[in-house]
Amino acid sequence: MSERRDITINVPVLARVEGEGTLDLHIVGDRIEQLRLRIFEPPRLFEKFLEGRGYRDVPDMVARICGICPVAYQMSAVHAIEQAFDMDPGPWVRDMRRLFYCGEWLQSHALHIHLLAAPDFLGFVTAVAMAEKFPEEVRRGLHLQELGNAIIRLLGARSVHPVGARVGGFFHAPRPEDAAALLARLRAALPDAEALVRWVASLPVPDDVQDFTCVSLRQPNEYPMNEGRLVSSHGLDLAIRSYREHFREFHAPHSTALHSSLDDQPYLVGPLARLNLNLDRLPEPVLGNLQATGVRFPSTNMFHSALARAVEIHCALWEAIRLLEGYRPAEPYIEATPRAGVGYGCTEAPRGILWHRFEMDEQGRVVNTDIVPPTAQNQARIEQDLHRSLSAFGLDHAPESLRLRAEMVIRNYDPCISCATHFLHLNLERQ
Amino acid sequence: MKALVLGVGSPFGADRIGWLAVDALTPHLHGVADLQASDRPGARLLALMRGYECAVIIDALQGAAPGSVHCLRRDQLAASSLQAVHSFGVADALALGEALGELPARVVLIGIGAGEGDVPPPVDWDVLAHLVRSRLSAENPRDSD
Repeated sequence: MSERRDITINVPVLARVEGEGTLDLHIVGDRIEQLRLRIFEPPRLFEKFLEGRGYRDVPDMVARICGICPVAYQMSAVHAIEQAFDMDPGPWVRDMRRLFYCGEWLQSHALHIHLLAAPDFLGFVTAVAMAEKFPEEVRRGLHLQELGNAIIRLLGARSVHPVGARVGGFFHAPRPEDAAALLARLRAALPDAEALVRWVASLPVPDDVQDFTCVSLRQPNEYPMNEGRLVSSHGLDLAIRSYREHFREFHAPHSTALHSSLDDQPYLVGPLARLNLNLDRLPEPVLGNLQATGVRFPSTNMFHSALARAVEIHCALWEAIRLLEGYRPAEPYIEATPRAGVGYGCTEAPRGILWHRFEMDEQGRVVNTDIVPPTAQNQARIEQDLHRSLSAFGLDHAPESLRLRAEMVIRNYDPCISCATHFLHLNLERQ
Repeated sequence: MKALVLGVGSPFGADRIGWLAVDALTPHLHGVADLQASDRPGARLLALMRGYECAVIIDALQGAAPGSVHCLRRDQLAASSLQAVHSFGVADALALGEALGELPARVVLIGIGAGEGDVPPPVDWDVLAHLVRSRLSAENPRDSD
């Protein structure tokens, strides 16, 4: 007699990202009959909120889409609007935006590694329990996270929903003494970042090799953050304005979030995809430190995402130091001259590419906008991974084990729901 | 004694009660404590409290009479009564700080009933100021334990 198990995993999502998520898992006998990850994504609403608003309002509004990666939303938006206005803020602003982004990667990645991912790999239920056994590692992680926050504050005045960015640049240029003080702290932390990479490489992660398509930005001579061309591990190479020619969003009946596909297939965005596609763009000391761990990239083990995050922390720290070493205050912005037009922005949020399209009118008001966040892009890939990972894990495992494995798989993507997946509930019905 | 009064929560809606508290307390605590508001700091709470011997944390409280002021114990926080909308909330941050040995010598937790609506309820700020002053001068070495 076949056994039917109806498993529902509820993912109560952070209120500040206005989201809700649920994993519905139906197992019949030895196969998954239905697996649906439902995530509600807020940017759908923000797109309408933005219509009719002036360009000056946009950076503060889009920052509210996410409390963990507000810099990414601000950067994609200002790049898109500046393209629509045919503006070039110049090299100083470009450098400071890259520095700003380094701060966001540092704080977001450090948070995920130490409070979310590492407890999974080390067998702790919570980060607090892990901290009792690994206090130095957690302390180091929180220190790196705080350095990221300090970089964001330097340019954005505050680390959550920063207010320093504007179309054309920043509202103020950091004082040289503040930049120098931060530079000293960043330099002192370099050994911490190197040690972090070694530590994460040593964590016992499942050996889970999969076949998936990686998508990221790529730059001629630097690791991508604020700009670049869209590339994939299957040979895609296109300008960001051509995104819609290959990437499609569609409504899945079970979800209020839009799913995304690349040429009708799921794809991965985020640190593992970025590192796989940009290994040769890492600063040499960062690449050398990674290679010394013995872990080989490109990697198709999804659980190497945590190591990719650690490498990007090292990369961001190294880049932030480089950018601050030559720091001189300058005119922090250029004035915008609004004109009617369409512009595109695509930047590498901590969780992957964040694509924006803004149409502006001649007064500089938003006519319409299109925002594609990384979590929505990864949603189909997460479902694909869950199908494969849970089947490989063994569907005959106890419901609690299945739930924990599903949480681990989901959390590994660092989706905006990742924190809440600690609260997954499993209801098992046997027939 | 170096003291911090920290209002936490969203700056919007009823959750902004921590921010309103900091505004209301500022004239009462000049020279007595540093005051700061923070939008759901999560683990960053530890960095905000670093260097202080005493921290008074004020947050919105669900399930209490609107506008009522309560001094809470740490174990009451575990029930997620504070509006810790990020899942790594005040209780988690304090537990992490405890595990790492990084808490100020004294941590005082104050919750204010936020009510059900989007607008913060009226609060008797004089009552809150009196409570905060009394806790700052209390002899109890670890109020939150």
